[in-house]
Amino acid sequence: MPYHEFDCSKVIPERKQHAVVKGEGEDLTSCLPKGYLNTIPGSISERGCAYCGAKHVIGTPMKDVIHISHGPVGCTYDTWQTKRYISDNNNFQLKYTFATDVKEKHIVFGAESLLKQNIHEAFDAFPEIKRMTIYQTCATALIGDDINAIADEVMAERPDVDIFVCNSPGFAGPSQSGGHHKINIAWLNQKVGTVEPEITSDYVINYVGEYNIQGDQEVMVDFFRRMGIQVLSTFTGNGSYDELRGMHRAHLNVLECARSAEYICDELRVRYGIPRLDIDGFGFKALGDSLLKVGLFFGIEDRAEAIIAEETARWKPELDWYAARLKGKRVCLWPGGSKLWHWANAIQEEMGVQVVSVYTKFGHQGDMEKGIARAGVGTLAIDDPNELENQEALLKLKPDVIFTGKRPGEVAKKMRVPYLNAHAYHNGPYKGFEGWVRFARDIYNAVYSPMHQLSGVDISKDDYATDKGFVTRRMLSDASLPEAERASPLTGYTGAFDPIAALRAKTDADYPQFERKTSSQAAE
Amino acid sequence: MAGFKKEKPAARANYPKLHASDPLAGFDAATREKVSLMEDYIMKNCLWQFNSRGWDRRKQNEGILGKTAQLLVGEDVQNETPLDKCYWVDAVLLSRAFRERCAWLAGMGKDEVQALMKILHARIDWLTIDGSLNEELTVQNY
Repeated sequence: MPYHEFDCSKVIPERKQHAVVKGEGEDLTSCLPKGYLNTIPGSISERGCAYCGAKHVIGTPMKDVIHISHGPVGCTYDTWQTKRYISDNNNFQLKYTFATDVKEKHIVFGAESLLKQNIHEAFDAFPEIKRMTIYQTCATALIGDDINAIADEVMAERPDVDIFVCNSPGFAGPSQSGGHHKINIAWLNQKVGTVEPEITSDYVINYVGEYNIQGDQEVMVDFFRRMGIQVLSTFTGNGSYDELRGMHRAHLNVLECARSAEYICDELRVRYGIPRLDIDGFGFKALGDSLLKVGLFFGIEDRAEAIIAEETARWKPELDWYAARLKGKRVCLWPGGSKLWHWANAIQEEMGVQVVSVYTKFGHQGDMEKGIARAGVGTLAIDDPNELENQEALLKLKPDVIFTGKRPGEVAKKMRVPYLNAHAYHNGPYKGFEGWVRFARDIYNAVYSPMHQLSGVDISKDDYATDKGFVTRRMLSDASLPEAERASPLTGYTGAFDPIAALRAKTDADYPQFERKTSSQAAE
Repeated sequence: MAGFKKEKPAARANYPKLHASDPLAGFDAATREKVSLMEDYIMKNCLWQFNSRGWDRRKQNEGILGKTAQLLVGEDVQNETPLDKCYWVDAVLLSRAFRERCAWLAGMGKDEVQALMKILHARIDWLTIDGSLNEELTVQNY
């Protein structure tokens, strides 16, 4: 096994099994780090807890819900507003967060009455919201508060409300991934099948594992609607509570982030016979193939082909403009879970960059299998890294840019490595054909921004040239390009600052109207 | 939906091993090169081979690579259940990619293509199931 031992982690010998370098001739039977294990004592992990994984990642993107944490206020505060999963109802779920504010006296005497009082107060404060999700935390789990009993009491007293209880305290798993699992299964057990949805198309899907980061979900749903497909629910970005109760009526589960949401897809397959189709919304080829697959499943491949042709003609030249200027740039692809495999091949093939390292904070070995399979020879793959290992890797690999979360991102910035936010994006959406160009633009700006070069200058001490602080694109990224490329009239991204506003302005009349099948056609 | 059989977690997790070593190892260099090219495409562009449990991967590999072989030799593919249709969808995309990237497929006879796909299937099973280092493949529940 080609394990990689960090100098800084020699004092934690178990860490050696959590990093590998993919060598020539290595495959998944000889090159795979350990994963999804408890963090080794002494290693300061970047992971979140199981409560965070349930609430912050999966629960809270649901848009028409009061999300309340039963515990100390810090739990809800630290999982509030740090991921930009926007919604088309004025971002209710981002603007407001709720906590029962459990204190020491409640730990001694119990916090159930406090919870009940808070639930009523929240519903009274927002009378237009009739749905609630309650998240268990470590403190209230340990004192044994019966959240389900309180939720049942409130629902009996207020018949127009519905409450979902998520019992995933912080200690319920090695990382946030434990919480993903728990909320998937809890939602299926408690809520799926409790609402009968209206079916308006012959082609009905659940779009699963999609969190609408800066509008990703709205971009993808637009494609599906253009194909005449009804998106019954999205689990959970921009998703509606009651739509998600009707997931059992879909014909197909289209799964994007398998790391966070394969559990509900797999169980929907077992319990309701709805098949799971894994897709990739990132990258021209992967997205095109994904739309084709969904189209093929329903026998409407031609509709997917039309969208791919239109979008490719519009956006591919601009992607290529960036690809010519990003060729060979070294990337550390260090996201939380699924993006290490969503992006690893697509950015190399379509943007010309070289992935020199992949890591995952909370991914399982299955995620590393996908990531390593898609990465090239020499790639350093790290599971659950600590900050010192990250610094050592950055010094050794000397990447031009790093895609990661904001905590390791800030460390990278201090080491003068440009960073892009892989979780919440910089100027997303990144899904869709246009979104992929926006991502390329953000990478370009990160790699070439003169700000990063200037940031290494100590203006109080260093002798620096005052007449060379301004450089142009031609001096930065175009200097080594062939003349034909330099003379090309093509430019980078020409889309709108906010592409989501135009999607939200669309009405039913803006989408093609397809005739529904007759009952005899449907039976064929 | 019709055609779906519920299995008990314990039974499905105890799937038998099919390969004790790399099934590609004994073949000639030309065959290894062809299979490696097809394997590389699958590993870089597909996700279906990486479902989280070994028993599920076995079904996925068999369903998709089996239907891909049928499509490559021009056989009719029957899709009796929604799950079959899902396998077929991935198989259609894969067979198109193989035709595009592996020009030598066009010069091969039906039996040769089927034999090659069988070797590819064994190799993917080895990489993702029987030779896999993923310790979660035998977990009973999802």
